[in-house]
Parts: sequence; structure tokens; C-alpha cells
Amino acid sequence: MNIITAENITKRFTGHTALDNVSVEIPQGSVYGLLGPNGAGKTTLIRVINRITIPDEGRVLFDGAPITQEDIYKIGYLPEERGLYKKMKVGEHAIFLARLKGLSRHEALVRLKEWFVRFGIEEWWNKKVEDLSKGMAQKIQFIVTVLHRPRLLIFDEPFSGFDPINANLLKEEILKLRDEGSTVIFSTHNMSSVEEICDHITLINRSRNILSGRVDEIRHSHGSNIFTVLFYGNEQLFRTATDGRCEVLEFANEITGLSKAKIHIERNEDVRDVVAAINESVSLRSFTEIIPSMNDIFIRAVNGTLHE
Amino acid sequence: MKNIGLIIAREFKERVYKKSFIITTLLMPLLMVLLSVAPTLIMIYAKGDTKQISVIDQSGLVAPQLSSNEEVTFSISESADLQTELKRSLDEDGFGVLFIGNDIVSNPSNVQLYTNASSSMMIEENIASQIKDIIEAERLKEYNIENLNEILDKVRVNVSLSTFRNSDEEESEASSSAVAGFVGIVLGFVLYFFLVIYGSIVMSSIIEEKSSRILEVLVSTVRPFDMMMGKILGVALVAATQILIWGVLIVAMSAVVMPMLLPDDIMGSIEAIRAGADITALAADGVDTEMVTAMASLTNTGYIAQMVALLILFMVGGFLLYAAMYAAVGASVDTAQDAQQLTTPITIPIILAFITTTMVMNDPNSPFVFWLSMIPFTSPIVMMARIPSGIPTWEIALSAILLYVTFVVMVWLAGKVYRVGIFMHGKKPTFKDLWLWMKY
Repeated sequence: MNIITAENITKRFTGHTALDNVSVEIPQGSVYGLLGPNGAGKTTLIRVINRITIPDEGRVLFDGAPITQEDIYKIGYLPEERGLYKKMKVGEHAIFLARLKGLSRHEALVRLKEWFVRFGIEEWWNKKVEDLSKGMAQKIQFIVTVLHRPRLLIFDEPFSGFDPINANLLKEEILKLRDEGSTVIFSTHNMSSVEEICDHITLINRSRNILSGRVDEIRHSHGSNIFTVLFYGNEQLFRTATDGRCEVLEFANEITGLSKAKIHIERNEDVRDVVAAINESVSLRSFTEIIPSMNDIFIRAVNGTLHE
Repeated sequence: MKNIGLIIAREFKERVYKKSFIITTLLMPLLMVLLSVAPTLIMIYAKGDTKQISVIDQSGLVAPQLSSNEEVTFSISESADLQTELKRSLDEDGFGVLFIGNDIVSNPSNVQLYTNASSSMMIEENIASQIKDIIEAERLKEYNIENLNEILDKVRVNVSLSTFRNSDEEESEASSSAVAGFVGIVLGFVLYFFLVIYGSIVMSSIIEEKSSRILEVLVSTVRPFDMMMGKILGVALVAATQILIWGVLIVAMSAVVMPMLLPDDIMGSIEAIRAGADITALAADGVDTEMVTAMASLTNTGYIAQMVALLILFMVGGFLLYAAMYAAVGASVDTAQDAQQLTTPITIPIILAFITTTMVMNDPNSPFVFWLSMIPFTSPIVMMARIPSGIPTWEIALSAILLYVTFVVMVWLAGKVYRVGIFMHGKKPTFKDLWLWMKY
């Protein structure tokens, strides 16, 4: 079941096309990464999903039905550029934002106290917003985004401005929210966080969806059939054994007496034959496929060299 | 709709609880009452030093008849020599020496005033008119008319013009065009002040919300149009609160403070007029009717309440119209500096209207003034300046309706600009951009 289905979204602004026939399907309960270089159209897509921007073509389905203003209350959105009223007190401000999302004053108060205790920030309640640091303000914004327990959470660049400790805290909270049943969409440049917490991604480049799917599938299917081989034995024997079957890209003798080689096997070649041949001639210790990182895939996809 | 309420409430609370708001709201009426009472008070209580003028009268006819008052006292000089007298006056710190020639009755120009310090118009006029009266009397005497003084007393008149307003209402009210003009200018100014001040408050606070990116956070739950209207209505509520407090305070102060400050005899006449006394009878008693009517209407609480009500009607309408334009500009720019070019077409009609209020004083019904009080962009200020002169109700109603209709259209257009503008960063928009956004 997809919580969000965006079908053939096209959005033009005067002078340029921000989204060009983009379709995405966001499965219920997933942590969905929206990747892409700056200016690719991620924020526009998020705004279309949020009903902030109306697309020129295409439509957005929420739970399989066209999205309505009522559905917006089931979404929590943390924009990339986010601010708070500087002159307001933290607690009052949080209550104001929570009430805009449909919570009663009392409900907002109870839930906020819970979160403030959880993050250990109770003493901020009566501080003025202008006295908070950027990271502190980010925490408040995160809390009010998730406070009304929305079914869908959209974070635009949630990690920007967080130190590593708080970024980790945020990651844990995101996973916790997923475990409680929420679906999370977030856009990011931080590829390591994608590998850690995303199960699905869509990569947008130049207004188009160029890559979509499960993270593990994408990584495996975009491997270049490159393997690392560790063994004890003679380099010459190794090269003879692999000759004709695969290409040795790198070779190094480690101090421990171990040799390390990086080999590329053609796709039509059976990996088992190569392993067998190597095993015959040297004492094989390890044979591992190098799975590309999301970072590699991102760069290759954006440069258009993904399928080479 | 619930969200618009929350936005209005937040806006209202933030502004009304500010110290600066509380202080200006309480101090302004005090200042206004003081300013309106000050001229009267100064006239009544402030007296300059009495000025000593010594008179050398070669004819001997004029000097004994010069009458002294609180401002000037005349004394016949002991010496007949001008030079000695001038020196003496200087030594004794007198005001100066008046020299009257021997042939003063036949040659009225033969009179000179020597002053030790700068002279004043009032003193010169006083002396000239006294001498004129004396010479006239002397010349009349030469005709040897019997019972001259009695004849003169019978002939002399003092005209006191009381103005009444001819309307269908039963009682014809005593009206004063000077007061109407004055009140009109004050009301026009109050409106001008509010449109500009509160309009720019709307603009600058939208710019601030845009640049602090709080709008990005709000926009997912609040429709941009609601956000804009919430802001405008919130500020309007603040403005109305302020005017209302001022109105109440001014009414209270003029009912309590003015009677205490004004001298009893004037207050007595005012009370008499309120009680329905015939103003012409008072005029016969030698009361300054113009001043008394003015004071009577200025201290009349019913009159003030009516003015405040109309003021709020036109202020709210005018404010909503201008605030919508200011909001559109605020949403399209990143900084206040960028806004300057775009606000020019907004400020021009306001300034034109403000200048026109002075023309209202001369003739509240001239065609130019009439049309400006109908055209929505200038109407709030000009109409407010005309109202105290007493104009037909249909004109007020028509002007108000036109104003509110235009406001609705303007809000609709501004909403379109706002919706696009709040996401535009980095580029300074032109009028062409705004036009494109409206059609967007």
C-alpha cells in the first residue's frame, strides 16, 4: 500500500521547468529518501505533495485517493529553510504551532511537556526564541513537526545545522517514528544517513526522476562486478590463474604477507569459475564483491555514468 | 477558518502586550488634549510684562486720553525734550518713547514711536487705533454738535454672526465652520497617520516573517491567503483597539479635564448652549460665540463618540485596502530597502489625500474634494476631513461602500501576489513580476 503516489507531476515556473513528468510511489511505513543535487526539484516535489504548490500536470494520491486539505493534518512537514518568531516564548510558540495543526491547547501542552522532558529541555519553556541557538531551534521545530502524530512525516534536509550527536538523536527519533507506524520522507545530501536509515530512495536530477527503488536492490544492481581478493601465495601464479577470466585492476602485497587484488569480472563470466581457478593456485582467504556506496551511485547517476 | 483565528490572536497578543504600544496608547490622548487646550490656556494665563511707554505730547490733547492696559502703560514724560527722554527711557529700562507732534489733529502722520527693544504688531496697532479714535473725537468736537456722545452711542454697532445649519432635522444646530475645518484636519491626519504607520507595520512584519522563514513552517498548515488575512486583520484589530482606547480617553478627559481648565464664564456659556439657550442672546451679552460654539462641540461627548465611530469605519476600510497592498509588497521582497520602489505608488495617493484635507477647510463641497472623497484610494482621509462639516449621509454611505468593495478586490489580488511572493528569494521583483503573479 502506498501512502503517497505522485503521478506524472509537471511544474513549470516562469522561465524553467522545476519538475518534468516525475512519478514516485511512497510505500506505507517506509523511510523514503529523496536525493538529488541542489536545484534538482526536490523541494518543489515536497511542496507539491504538501499541497503548498499546485502542479501544472499530474496528481497526488494520499492513501489511493486524490489528496485533500483534510489530509494535510495527517502530514508533518519540516521545511529546509525554517524559522520561528523571535520574540515569542518557546512554550507559547510551540503551542501556537501545535494548535495550527489541529491540537487543542490542553492536548498540545501535555504532549509538548512529554517531548521537552524526553529531550531534556524543560528549562527552555519560558526562554525567548531569539535566545536559542540554531541547533536548539531545530529541536523545537522537530518536536512541533511530529507532535500531532502525523501518519506521514516530510523532512527537508533535516540534518543540516545539527552536530553529529544531535544528528544521531534525530536519526534515532526518525527510526522510532517509523517503528510506531509513521511513514517518513526526507530529502538530503547526506549519503551515509541514506544508507543507514532509508529503505527506499528516489533520485531526482534536472527535474526528472532518474532512479527509484529499494536501497539494497539499487546498490546490488549497480555493482560493477568488482571484487576484492585476499590470499597467501605467489603473484605470478595468481595472475596466470586469472588470465583470460578476469581483469586485475590493482595488486598489492600487504606487510603481513597477505596479497590483495582488485579484479573485474565480465558479466557473462561465471564468478564460480574464477573463484575455482584462484582457489587452485593460491591460498584464498577472502573473496568479496564491492557494493557501491550510495555516494558513488549518486555521483555516477548525476554524471550520467551509472550504466557504464 | 480556525487557523485564521489563531493567526489573528497571535498577532494581536504580540503587539498589544508590547510596552511601546501601552505607552503610546496612554500618552497620546493626554498629548492631544493638551495640544487642543494649550492655545486657550496660553491666551488666558500667559501675560507678558507690562511695557512702559513715556509720551511726549506737544499738542497736549492726546496723551491724557491714552488708556493703559495690562500690556502697555502710558505715562506723560516730565521733560519735553525727545533726546533726554530717550536717554532716560533707556536708563530706566522702559519700552520706549512715543512722540506726538503739535499739529497731530490736522496732521495724523506726525507721530513716532521709539522703542528700546523690538516693537510688536499688537502694540503698534493698539497705539495707532487709540490715537485714531482720539483724533476722530477731537475733529468731531470742532463741529460743535449737541449731545454728541449720546448720538455716537446710538450709532455704533457690533455685529456678531451666529451660523446655523439648515437641515431637515427639527433643531437647527449652531455650527462653526472653523471648528469643522479644524476637526476635519485632525481626523484626516489621524487617518493618514494610521494608514501609513499601520500599513508599514503589516509590510515590515511580513518581510520579517519571510526572511526568518517562519512562513515556510506555517505554509503547510495555513493557506497563504489565510496567513495574509490573519496578519492584516490582526494588525487592524490592534489599530482599532488603539483608536477605541484613545476615543474613550479623549471623551473622558474632555468631559472632566476641559471644564476644570476653562474659565468659569466660558464654561457657563457652554453649559447654557448645551441646555438649549439661544445663542443670539449670549451674543448680545458680548460672549465670543465662535469660541463658545467651538468649545461646546469639542467637549460634547456625543459628538466625539459619533466622530470616533465614523473614524473607525473609514479607518478600518482604508486600512484594509492599504494593508492589502502593503502585504503584497512585503511578500514580494526580501528586505525593506527593496520595498521602497514598490511602495511609491501606494504612498502617492495617501499624500495627495492628506494635502487635500487643507482644501476641505476652505470648501468641503468643491467638486475636486467631493470626487477625492469618493475614489477609494483617497476617500478614507478626504471623507474623514469632510464629515465634521456636516455632509449628506448618502455621500458617506456611498464612499464607505466603494471603499469596502475595492478592499475586497484588492485583497483578492494581493492574495495572489502573496502566494507566489513568499517563496521568491534573492531576486528584487519589478511591477511586471507582480503583474505576472496576479495572473498566475
